Amino acid sequence: MINYFTSHFDTLRLEFWPLLVGGLASGFIYAMVAIGYTLVYGVLRLINFAHSEIFMSGGFASYFVIRAVIGTSQPSGLESILLIGLGVVSGGAAGALVAVLVERVAYRPLRRRKAPALAYLISAIGASYFLFNLAGKEFGRYLYAYPTIFVNHPVFTIFGAGVQMYYVVVAIAGVIMLITLDRVVAKSKLGRSVRAVAQDAETASLMGVNIDRTIVVTFLIGGALGGAAAFLYGITSGVIYTMGFTPALKAFTAAVLGGIGNIRGAVLGGLLLGVVESLSVAFVQGSYIDVAAFTVLVLVLLFRPTGILGERLGRSA
Amino acid sequence: MKLRLSKTVAGVASSALLLMTVPAIGLASASGAAAKPTFTIGYEGPLTGSNAQLGLNMVFAVQLAINNANKTHALPFNLKLASYDDQGSPTLSPAQASSAVHNKTLVAIVGPAFSGATRAAEPYYSAAHIATVSPSATAAALATGKKNNNFMRVVAGDDVQGAADAKFLVKTKSVKSLYVIDDGSFYGAGLAAVVAQEAKSLGASVTPNSYPESGSCGGTASASEYTAAATQIVASGATGLFYGGYYCDFGLLLGALNSAGYKGVVMSGDGSLSPALITGTSPASAANNVYLSVAGGGSANLTGKLATAYRALSHFPANNATYAAQSYDATNMIIAALKKVYKAKISVAKLRPAIITALHKLVYHGVTGKLSFQSNGDLNAKTIVDFSQVQNGQIVSVGHS
Repeated sequence: MINYFTSHFDTLRLEFWPLLVGGLASGFIYAMVAIGYTLVYGVLRLINFAHSEIFMSGGFASYFVIRAVIGTSQPSGLESILLIGLGVVSGGAAGALVAVLVERVAYRPLRRRKAPALAYLISAIGASYFLFNLAGKEFGRYLYAYPTIFVNHPVFTIFGAGVQMYYVVVAIAGVIMLITLDRVVAKSKLGRSVRAVAQDAETASLMGVNIDRTIVVTFLIGGALGGAAAFLYGITSGVIYTMGFTPALKAFTAAVLGGIGNIRGAVLGGLLLGVVESLSVAFVQGSYIDVAAFTVLVLVLLFRPTGILGERLGRSA
Repeated sequence: MKLRLSKTVAGVASSALLLMTVPAIGLASASGAAAKPTFTIGYEGPLTGSNAQLGLNMVFAVQLAINNANKTHALPFNLKLASYDDQGSPTLSPAQASSAVHNKTLVAIVGPAFSGATRAAEPYYSAAHIATVSPSATAAALATGKKNNNFMRVVAGDDVQGAADAKFLVKTKSVKSLYVIDDGSFYGAGLAAVVAQEAKSLGASVTPNSYPESGSCGGTASASEYTAAATQIVASGATGLFYGGYYCDFGLLLGALNSAGYKGVVMSGDGSLSPALITGTSPASAANNVYLSVAGGGSANLTGKLATAYRALSHFPANNATYAAQSYDATNMIIAALKKVYKAKISVAKLRPAIITALHKLVYHGVTGKLSFQSNGDLNAKTIVDFSQVQNGQIVSVGHS
């Protein structure tokens, strides 16, 4: 037993920093997707199970845009930065568009008819199946790999671990988007109406908040972040019609881990999940990476049933 | 009234049934006397899904062999193809096998293509006495040693391939510490285990690990697992890496290894031997210098007129269409066996087991060489394992064992 731990701590010592960096990168992606779940939950008390396909739409859109723009060229320097921007924007735009469409087609008719919560769930699953099968039919059921957008070499080292360009790109893009979102929700009029609807939809509407518009905005923001995250995810993992399933499930886990409905909780949950998953491979086999993630979730929920930061989009954020 | 109505309905229905069956019987006997009977040769493999390319390589070769037989052999029967798409998945293949078994004109199967799918489908084929001649299912454990096995294959098992790969890595490439990863599939884990064991016995130190098939490639794991995998491989200081699995996941691993700056010798088996490995790797240059192996003349291609005809059917070139040549041979072996046992008015139920027996006696000179089966379904010939390498985005042959 002692041998087991000393040998594993030996590997951990060697691998800790690179695994931590890799884990933080997937953490940022989980966080951006988790926001989509958390915002919609905060406002509608509903888990948008079609979010995985909103993610996938962003992946495909940015793939096709980037491929068309790059052609056969070998981008570097400023071109690479512009292309990353283009990928984030096109992924975000497609994600936002599909999210708004899903809200229109799958949720709004139910809301008008005051349908029970279970109906939303089925509607969401239906939308999800429809979208990923449509993508499989239209784009083929195989993996597309992005053309090279930037040269992925180590940029600097932390404690001997080379930090690659990809991680830098994910971290910078992630931080910019998450901080912008946090400020928008905390300070702007738009954010105030989102928080007001989350707290008490009826009172908010009496105070003159347009509920339908606020809900559309919520889907739009969540979809944009999810679509942009799909671009960052796809750079290394490729794009395929089923690409949304696993990352979205993880992001949902992250949202619950941090406290669903809580934006900062979603970010914390995402980063934590990414890091735990990544570090777990040093202790157990690679095949247990998903088991480790859900073990942590169960343990946290045992002690804090509402997640690390608790459910509270309405109150602070 | 209610009763009378239901009686009337029943009466109408039964007379309708009679009317429908009578002409059908008449038709069947008429066509039996006049035209040649039609038999179906099935193909089971992945035709959609992330590993579809391997299956498409095969099914067009099966179609080509059937077309040629119908055109040139002047056979006393017609042949047609029915394809059963199992996406290479062990969970989908039983349903496909069951539907093949119930096809009333089906006499034998080319395939199944993937080892895990084959293991899951074999009980159905075996119970129905249907010969399955696989062009590509290489897992060692599939050749059960059962007498007159209905499973046969025109490629060597992974015990042969894995041993040759280990020797190539440890002896030819002087790898002293080897990292062995598998994808958790029946095929990948089996091949990786053989490589690990053989490399150990040749004196290399071996670190085995398993990363299940990712969500990007038909599995359920996070594709980001390969980032962690690459980190571990680099940190382990291993000078060589063997991957047991298919090209889709291997491409993702190669991308991650490239980012992590891994410099060792990288090799994989026949599951990764496809041009789709290069198009599925980002950046494509990350696949450069990777070694790939395939057993049993597996890199043999259809050539000359066959290649032209193949291209006309498939719309992709025959060179590098891994397992097309094997599928062509497997189909022709089934046709040859069927020709031997066919008698006028013989039923499909009698043909099926007769074909198994005939295949076990058959010696066939195909495009991949002289082929005959042992009683366990493995090839008789001493097998050569071919090695190739990705060079500047092309798969180039670099010799054999």
